[in-house]
Parts: sequence; structure tokens; C-alpha cells
Amino acid sequence: MAAADSPSAALRRRDLCSRGIRLAGKMRADVVDLLDAYVEQQGLDASASVAAVEGVPLAAVERWDEQTGTQRLLENLAAYRAFRALLAQMLEEQREQLGEADAGLGRALAAVLLQVSAFTYHLEELLRLESRGIPGEEEDGPPAPPRLSLFEQKLRGLGVLRELAQWAVRSVRDLRQLAKPSPAPGAAPGLAESP
Amino acid sequence: LGDPQNLKCVTHNLHKMLCTWNVSSRGRRGQAEFCYTANDLTPQVCFKTKEGRVEIPVPESSITVTIKSSGTAFATKAFVIHQKDISFVPVAPHILSLTPEFPTSTLHLKWSDSGSVFPYGLDALWQIQILRKNAMEVVTQVTYYSKLTQEDVILSWNWTSDVPLECTSHYVKIRCYINATQFVGPKDWSDWSPAEVIPGKDTEPGESGVFPLDRVVAVGSDLTFCCIHEEDQRINMTYGSKSYAMMQLSSRSHAIRVLNASVSSSSGTNVVCRLEDGLEGSVVFVGYAPDVPQNLSCETSNFLTVKCTWKPGRPSGLYADRKTKYSLFERTSGKNVSCEVNEMSKDRVCDFPVLPDQKTYDFVLGVSNPIGQAQSSLLVDITQRVRPKTPEMLTVIGNNSTSIQLRWHINGSFTWIRLLCQIEISGGHSERKLHNVSMPGGKSSTYTAQLNALHPYTKYQFRVRCSAADHFWRWSDWSRGVEQTTSEAP
Repeated sequence: MAAADSPSAALRRRDLCSRGIRLAGKMRADVVDLLDAYVEQQGLDASASVAAVEGVPLAAVERWDEQTGTQRLLENLAAYRAFRALLAQMLEEQREQLGEADAGLGRALAAVLLQVSAFTYHLEELLRLESRGIPGEEEDGPPAPPRLSLFEQKLRGLGVLRELAQWAVRSVRDLRQLAKPSPAPGAAPGLAESP
Repeated sequence: LGDPQNLKCVTHNLHKMLCTWNVSSRGRRGQAEFCYTANDLTPQVCFKTKEGRVEIPVPESSITVTIKSSGTAFATKAFVIHQKDISFVPVAPHILSLTPEFPTSTLHLKWSDSGSVFPYGLDALWQIQILRKNAMEVVTQVTYYSKLTQEDVILSWNWTSDVPLECTSHYVKIRCYINATQFVGPKDWSDWSPAEVIPGKDTEPGESGVFPLDRVVAVGSDLTFCCIHEEDQRINMTYGSKSYAMMQLSSRSHAIRVLNASVSSSSGTNVVCRLEDGLEGSVVFVGYAPDVPQNLSCETSNFLTVKCTWKPGRPSGLYADRKTKYSLFERTSGKNVSCEVNEMSKDRVCDFPVLPDQKTYDFVLGVSNPIGQAQSSLLVDITQRVRPKTPEMLTVIGNNSTSIQLRWHINGSFTWIRLLCQIEISGGHSERKLHNVSMPGGKSSTYTAQLNALHPYTKYQFRVRCSAADHFWRWSDWSRGVEQTTSEAP
């Protein structure tokens, strides 16, 4: 594990964390707006219960407090990589199903996808800062999801956006946790953890 | 004594008939000798049989039968069978195939008419029954007519169900009646064929969902959707935001009926089934068939491309994969072009290449979407539909005190026509004047014109537009203006 933070690394990490917090906050606001537009555009019931979306780690996590900083980053990274693929799939389906009929929803979806991609890169930066290897992405990305019916596509989209909104909240909390100064060795976990 | 009695003869094919009899109750059936003869002149034909049934030819009019039974004791009985006593009951038809077409909820039935069985051409009636609910509920029964031609002909019949075939099992049975007018005996319907079944999704273990899936239908249609669920599961179904009363199709299938469906939103109308453990659903796209394209008009601006425009009429309400597709077909050349059209934009445009040495175009604009299609036609001579591109690079190339020479360029090849160009002259203390000049069309050329009778040392503004000289259609847009002051008088 790296020695306690050098002042410049700590400063750099806090800067990355605070920028990440702002990015996640903005992303959440946009996702919530997108969710409302999506529910209306797709004629869905906002209260509809949706099964967990295959391929997306749940935002809710047990013993959140005990997670090391690296675990937080790695779980965030895995989630947002999954969201990036799912949002790209949703965008593709939106073009197939709605085309020019609702370019607004397409634009909003693309904007959120852009933010998710940016946030994913941001997480990778944080991991690099900790001289942590960036886990490789599966060669050709996640396995192609099964061909869903249109209603299943609509429900999956609802599930993806809901879970993404949850993750944005969790990411803010995770980054705030990471932003705290690194404790002296042996104390409560910050970013680094002792093997 | 075991007298032979109740002799009955039935023919299935007007050739042969099956005669059966039984022995009076006290007798035990043993071997019997069955003899028949048409008349005194023809020799008797005899059979020995234990089964109490014999197949013999159908007589022209009548035959005399003698049955000598050897049960508990010998007994002989004679019968006279007239044709009128023989029943004609065709064999139950054989269904060759029953094929479901799920997207259209259509059953395709094929069967053989077994015409080769009969000695001559006959009129046949076929009754077809469609059943549901374990073949207990007759949904529809139709009668189908055909002519038998002494050959086995495969007949086919299609039926479109108002309930999607996925929703519950559909059974088909068929029977026939042969209208043999020359046969004087009693005639009757055949037995029903064994029922052929197209199993519904409610027969598949673990299956659940709403059907049909992701259909495109016309506004005003009456729609049926079903929810396939586990037995005894409480469900409710909504169409859009409205709940509907459900009909039970089977223990695992309930359906709703939506009448006179209205146009759906661009993302379709959701049909949702709320189960105890989750949601199932389908999406239906309710839209219009494309309208006949109105005001189809075609012109060329450069003799390289013909640009056709039209008014789409009523929007179809269908988008993306389901949107209306347009193609421009030209009959003379047989060339077909598909047009890329943005459903949201009001104007509809499609380009067709100008073909070598072809001035007249016999266009058919075809429009189609999953609900229907339409077309408009237009016969046009493109030399009479010229609207040149905007003249460019208007330049003054010569100038003295009373005249000015202008030059401009027009993209496009106009060698098939003469051009008429109009030069607007402003300034010079006088009203705006228009000066027309015509010239042979060139191939992406530069054109010139001289303006005379101008005032010396006077500032003028010029701009130009062009059209076809011989068959005026439309002016081009005006070029950009150019300003010039004539030189001083000498």
C-alpha cells in the first residue's frame, strides 16, 4: 500500500474528488429530469416496480462504512462502465423505436451518456492517482443483452435510469469519503487500505 | 334360430358399399355365406364371412342378397336392397396441414378433397369448425364449397382470429357433404376429422407475458390482448392508462378487448399485465395507413437531378422502424429510388437522377408503412419543369458611359433548353427596370448580357435570375446584387 499521502497527491485527490462530486451531482439532477421525461414519453407508470437490471451492480450496499477507498472506486467504476454500455444500448433502441419522433429524449439520453463516460474517466483518474491498476474492460464490452420485447426494453430503461440516479447519490457519498485526508496507518480506512 | 337381420349398406365412395347385419339375439354368430345378384341374368357372387360385414359394389338400381348363417343352427334370409336404401356418407376428410401465422393471427388450413375416390365430378360442401377451450367451444363454423374432379385436389382456407393465436389453443375440425344428385339413397355429412391443434402459450410451462407482442395496427381496430400467467394468479390488465374487464380464455390466460383503438403516441401504447410477482407487457403501435401523396410535383434545377416534392397528407402516427417509407419509381427506365424522408419535417422531397437522353419521366411515388400503402403518379417532361439554381458570381466585365456588360454563372447543364434571364436594374434616378435576355443553355456555363441606354456617371445595382425560355416554369432565386457606376460621358 502507498505511504501516507504526499501533500501534492492529497491535494490532487481532493481536487479530483470535489470535481467528481460536482459531476455526480449534476449527473443525478439530469438523470432525474431524464427519468421523468422517459416515463412520460414511454407511457409508463412512474410507480411501476421493475426487476433489477441485469448487468448493473446495485447502488445499495451493506456495511458501506467498512468499504475501503479502493473498493469504493472499483465498484463505482464497474457500475458506471455498465451504465455506459446500457445507456448506449438505450440510445440505439431509442433511435430504432422513436427515431425523429422524439429527438429531445434522444438528446437528453446522449447528454447523460456523455456525463457517465466523463465520470467513468474521472474514476479511472482517481485510481491512477492511487497507482492502482485500472481493471481492463472486457475485450468487446459486456455481453450483448438478450433481444428484449419493446415493453421489456421500456422497463429496462426505467430500471437503468432509476439505478443510475441511486448510484449518483452513492458516488457523491463515496467521493466525500475519499476526499477525507488519509488517516495515519492502522486507523479507519480512507483511500488506501492495509493488506 | 339366429336369423340374419338389420342388413344395412353404406357407401363412402359411390363405388363400393359396406353391408352389415346382425343375428337375432338368441343366435350365436358363426360363419355366414353372403350371396348377391343384381338380377336373374347375372350370376350370384358369394362370400363366406364371420364378421357380419361385406364390401360389395354399389348396384345401379337394386340387388338381391341371401345370407345363410351357420350359428347355433342354419338359417337363410333373403333381402332386396334398392339404391334408395343405401346411405352415402363420405369418409371424414384428412387435414394435411394447419399452419399458424402469429403476426397476423391467421390459421392456414390445407386438406385433400379425395376427389379421386368418386366416379364422377361432384359438388362438395366442407364445414370447418374453429374451437377453443379444449375444443369445447365453437368459435366459428364456416361452409366452403368446391367441385370434386376425380383427382385429389388440395384445398386451402385461411382464417384470421380475433384472439391472438398465442393466447390460447385453437382447434380445427372439418367434415364434408357430397351432393351426389344422381345417387338416390340418403346422403349425410361425413364424420368430423380429428381436431388439429395450434397450442397457445398458456400450454407452455413457465411461460408468461402479454400477447401479441409489439404489433402495428390501424386506428379504429378492435384489439384483443391476453396475459399468460400461472394458474390461480390474480392479475389485472391495462391498455394505456385504462383498466379493462378481462375475459377468461383458460386457466392461464385472460384477455381484454379494446374497441376502436385510437392513434398511439410515438412510443406506442403499453398493454400491461400486473401479476402478483411483477409486470408483463407489450406495446402496440396504432396508426394510419399512409395518405395518397398530394400535389406531387417534380422539377430540375440543373438537369442532373429531378427533385420531386409532395404533401404527405395526414400523419401516420408511426415513427422510426414503422414510419412511412417512400420510393420513386420511373416506369420508362424501370429505375427505382428509395427516398430518405424526415417524418417530422413538413416538406417531403425526393431526388431522382436525370437519365441520359431521357426528358420524359413517368413517375410513381409509392408510400407504404406496416398498415398500408398508397401511390401517386406524375408524367413530366423535365425540360418544361426547369427552375435553375441561383445565378452566381454576377460580375461587371465591361463598362462605358452608357452601357455595362454583366457575366454570371449557373451550375447545371442546360444544353437541352434555351435560358431566359431577367436582369433587374436599380438606381439611375429611375424606377427599377427589368431587362430580359435569352440565350442557349450551356453545360455549367457562364452567361453574359449587355445593358445599354444607361446614364453616364450613374451608380446602378444589378441582379439576375433565370428560367427556361420556351416552357416557363419557375424563376430561379435572384442572384446576389452587384453595383457599378457608369463612366463619365466622354
